[in-house]
Amino acid sequence: MSSIELDHVSKLYANGAYGVRDVDLTIAEGEFVIFLGPSGCGKSTTLRMIAGLEGITSGDLRIGGRSVTHVAPRDRNIAVVFQSYALYPHMSVRENMGFGLKMRGVARPVIEEKIKEAAGLLGLAPYLDRKPAALSGGQRQRVALGRAIVRDPVAFLLDEPLSNLDAQLRAEMRLELVKLHRRLGRTIVHVTHDQVEAMTMGDRICIMRDGRMIQVGKPLDVYADPVDTFVARFLATPPMNLLPARLEAQGDGLLVRGDGLSVEVPAMHRDAYAPATGREVIFGLRPEDIHEAPQPGFQRIDVTVVAMESLGVENILVGQIGQGNGAEGRPAEISARLSRHYTAAVGATVPLYVDARPMHLFDPETTRALPRPSLRVLGH
Amino acid sequence: MRRIALHFGLLLTCAAILIPLLWVIRTSFLPEPMSYSPEIMPAFTLDNYVALFTSTRYGQSYLNSLIVAIGSVVVALPFACMTGYAFARFKTSGKGGRFAVLAIQMLPPVAIVLPAFTLFRMVGLTNSLTGLIIVYAALNLPFLIWILMGFFEGIPVDLEWAAQTDGATAWQAFWRIVLPVSLPGIAAAGVLGFILTWNEFLFALVLSGPQTATVPVALASLQTSNGVQIAKVSAGVVLAVLPLVIASRFIQRFIVQGLTFGSVK
Repeated sequence: MSSIELDHVSKLYANGAYGVRDVDLTIAEGEFVIFLGPSGCGKSTTLRMIAGLEGITSGDLRIGGRSVTHVAPRDRNIAVVFQSYALYPHMSVRENMGFGLKMRGVARPVIEEKIKEAAGLLGLAPYLDRKPAALSGGQRQRVALGRAIVRDPVAFLLDEPLSNLDAQLRAEMRLELVKLHRRLGRTIVHVTHDQVEAMTMGDRICIMRDGRMIQVGKPLDVYADPVDTFVARFLATPPMNLLPARLEAQGDGLLVRGDGLSVEVPAMHRDAYAPATGREVIFGLRPEDIHEAPQPGFQRIDVTVVAMESLGVENILVGQIGQGNGAEGRPAEISARLSRHYTAAVGATVPLYVDARPMHLFDPETTRALPRPSLRVLGH
Repeated sequence: MRRIALHFGLLLTCAAILIPLLWVIRTSFLPEPMSYSPEIMPAFTLDNYVALFTSTRYGQSYLNSLIVAIGSVVVALPFACMTGYAFARFKTSGKGGRFAVLAIQMLPPVAIVLPAFTLFRMVGLTNSLTGLIIVYAALNLPFLIWILMGFFEGIPVDLEWAAQTDGATAWQAFWRIVLPVSLPGIAAAGVLGFILTWNEFLFALVLSGPQTATVPVALASLQTSNGVQIAKVSAGVVLAVLPLVIASRFIQRFIVQGLTFGSVK
């Protein structure tokens, strides 16, 4: 049993500020959970509280059903991989990896055996006698992982372990970590501010902001149904288009009308959104739901091209749809994720086609999403 | 033009620093009567060095200085390490405590020397190397704490956290990780403490006797009623400077190491 339960856990600092506020989360045994959020949101603090490196001001933390709120880090049998790797600079790779076992009084031959095993798994065998300073960033990262693996802990806590690697190595290590998780079957809590890591690695994402866990769910669920505008914007690049608008009745249907925007609410959402008729809303639509070619059910909008970003695999069009009576008096802008074959000159006005089915409406005051049935539940 | 001016300035500074030292070295190799000669090197002799060790207690004082300087550093460093670490990592006694420690260092030595003498006489520690070691360890402690505190603050706390999650107690994390990683800093602090003790005059003068005099006191004693034996004093100064030259080489190496050791990212 190695489930981790955070039972209304808070961290209050001496200056009265909350580092973490009322986090209530159960991480199942063997689950790969991602803590995602911007800098200073409390994700690393939460991780350190699980490790026992930060005290818990209120609430209870249980590992494997046992309360460990007041248990020292060394007695929690949890391994942490730090962003800086925190390798002991005066020890060789072998000594670094064996340190935890040595501290626990494990016999030398057993330690050697485990180091050999982990080094084989991580491709570190040729470097066992080197000091950390003589290793590359990727190798140091592996040593930090190896140090965690040899101890056979109940859970791994990874604090932004990939953020010091270059893009290519990061992609490789992402895959390695996922494979490692499958092979070891241990609980992993991975802290990151990288949306790609969050979307691709974990069984669940926990999005944090200002010390609170504001949404927890499977990556695609969170992506499809963000609880508020923060999550909507945070989880992808380019982020969800969020446009101030007003929900109006039009015959039997509903119309979202804003600066340069007039989108009919699809029939499947009408009942859910009907109570908000006549209210100011924020219209949310992901860039990939705006298309270059018409299809049945798509709605046309005219966009003046402001910029085209060619990423090779796709083109990101940034365009102006409004006249300047949008938010802050600036014309409303949208991003659209279009095929790599699409071209348009900057300044030209082009027709694009909106698939409004995945649309969201948010309350402009609370920024919370107005409830509607999830498309993933509806089978779209 | 600017480069020439710069180099000229540097040369001038070097000369200002080096010429007196070179002149002392030169004088140490001259017979006493010629020591005030305006000529650069009118003669050469090792008599001053020989006389220093045969007709004065300089050799004994040299040994005393080594024992006292090394002894005081050895006594003070463990305390300095633990206190510096506590100040660096925990909120031990707050900012007030830290500045109190520094303030002790700022006290004029004259204010402490007489009470120290009275105290040491009561417990029979005047005219003893043990007494000098204790007093120098105490005098250097605030300075060493302050230096080491800065050094420990520079060590990433992640290292200790890693050790603690690896199964180490706080003490084991300090002993097995922090201390070995800090060795260059501790060595640098030790060398600085050695230099401070080696050069100290006032306490040595008041608390030591003929058998326990240190090098600065021995040098001062060469100013006799017959005048200053400048050639012998010069030889003594040259020998007194030697450990400092060696120490400064060490300190340079350790400080450079100390600055670069942590780049484990």
